[in-house]
Amino acid sequence: MTIIQQMITSVSVGGLYAVLAVGYALIYSVFDFTNFAFGGIMMVSAFSGYFVSNAGFGTIASMIAAIVTGILVSIAVELLAYRPMRKKNAKRLFLMISAMGVNIFLTNLYLSLFGANLRTLPSGFKANTISIMNVQIGTVDIAAFLTSMVALGILTFFLYKTRSGITVRASATDISTAGLMGINVNKVSLIVFIISGTTAAIAGMFFGMKYTVYPGMGAMSTKAFIASVIGGLGSLQGAVLGGFLLGIMETLVAGYISATYRDLFSFGIMIVVLMFMPNGLVGRGDQSKL
Amino acid sequence: MSKLVEIKDLYSYYGGICALNGVSLYINEGEITSIVGSNGAGKSTLMRTIAGDKQIDSGEILMNGEPLPKLVHDVVNSGISLVPEGRHIFPALSVRENLILGTCALKGQEYKRAMSETLEEVISLFPILGKRIKQSGGTLSGGEQQMLAIGRALMAHPKLLCLDEPSLGLAPIIIDEVFDKIIQLNKEKKLTVLLVEQNAYLALDVSDRAYVLNTGLITLEGTGKELAENPSVQEEYLGVTR
Ligand SMILES: Nc1ncnc2c1ncn2[C@@H]1O[C@H](COP(=O)(O)OP(=O)(O)OP(=O)(O)O)[C@@H](O)[C@H]1O
Ligand SMILES: [Mg+2]
Repeated sequence: MTIIQQMITSVSVGGLYAVLAVGYALIYSVFDFTNFAFGGIMMVSAFSGYFVSNAGFGTIASMIAAIVTGILVSIAVELLAYRPMRKKNAKRLFLMISAMGVNIFLTNLYLSLFGANLRTLPSGFKANTISIMNVQIGTVDIAAFLTSMVALGILTFFLYKTRSGITVRASATDISTAGLMGINVNKVSLIVFIISGTTAAIAGMFFGMKYTVYPGMGAMSTKAFIASVIGGLGSLQGAVLGGFLLGIMETLVAGYISATYRDLFSFGIMIVVLMFMPNGLVGRGDQSKL
Repeated sequence: MSKLVEIKDLYSYYGGICALNGVSLYINEGEITSIVGSNGAGKSTLMRTIAGDKQIDSGEILMNGEPLPKLVHDVVNSGISLVPEGRHIFPALSVRENLILGTCALKGQEYKRAMSETLEEVISLFPILGKRIKQSGGTLSGGEQQMLAIGRALMAHPKLLCLDEPSLGLAPIIIDEVFDKIIQLNKEKKLTVLLVEQNAYLALDVSDRAYVLNTGLITLEGTGKELAENPSVQEEYLGVTR
């Protein structure tokens, strides 16, 4: 692979990490817990995309199916698992444990329903490459990068330019004062889980197209979690920064050293960053996050 | 004079600790009613139960004869806005965004009116907010933050504005300015105000009616003037020695 191909791959992976990391960060910023069910939601969404695609529909249709699934499952998890716990003032640690439970549940559910085999997500991109300055570049990488950027752009517009978005940011700083403003916290939670379900689905589809779809694929979201920790838990800017940094560095390590060391490197870098900057690169402790 | 809010035999606890021990009071429409009391008397707890931010353990709060809804955002919807003790503006959000948050309970035409007319009214009431409109709330001075917190509450078109220690931590000249605006709102806009203050002198001076709250119980009530002239109030809360 040439350096240009490396760069394209790294920003496409980085973009997907960034989108996923934002999904983690949003929920963390409002509810102060990490939604470890995220990987499971990503996997379930990718499966829906796979089934629709397999039934002969195009990439757009399967993307829509994935996003609808991501949103529905994300909301279902919030309503069935998390909200009842929050109502009883459960400690955040137990919310996280519940989230891990949901993740393992979804993985095993799909494992028993569909088996462990790897499925290729047929897509309009898969085999296609385009040639830029004599370099072959996978269209799926370009599509992943562009989709991530558009998704991040829409999210930024929503959070900074609409009243609903401002309510989400306010809830992220101070959820009890948000109530005094007439903000319905349950509505905010729906917004946040819809957004994170969408980001999980987008990442799930592209990981499915780049690699394969299988019940254990949710493990890839761990990388996005690392990215959001490196950037600063609960910070959106941090999540985007961490996502791209991790994507770029991983690709370089895999390309120039060895793919074997990729994960070693990712976790190592997280530990080193936390040693020196316990709040991540742009995190500011308990300060406002969005 | 019609009663806007009536509170009957209100009890509220924190775990086993009783903070409100059977409070009854009423607030007349168009008046400034104040509650004075020392630290830990339960003033903030009373404000938070009225605003729906703290659960009522027994008793009731009626507005125009109807019980208030249970959830805090529904209470805001029904016309009660609280400016909490310590202001609690959103420091990372701009002044404008803080003001927009005040409109969260409003829909349709009312929301449109808030974003045009009410926003202008708030800025003409507190011109400094207009000058700082793009700045983040955290960069404002204490007095400016208090004005922002009041402005934000006004954006919700409240029927009852609850102010919890608006003078807290402000310089005397700023306190005067803030209180002048509160009186102006009451006189010109006929806004009903419930005021909690440790600065009893100030509160009684501007109030039509007032209550003394003492460890969760109302021990005295009367017009602002009556209470200000009451010997025990003078001794305990106004620092008059005889
Ligand atoms: N969140 C809480 N948890 C437990 N106890 C509380 C809590 N908030 C208040 N209290 C207790 O309830 C009682 C009344 O407190 P409250 O804050 O209502 O008093 P206050 O009159 O507003 O005092 P101050 O003038 O200091 O603001 C106090 O004994 C206080 O310790
Ligand atoms: Mg208080």
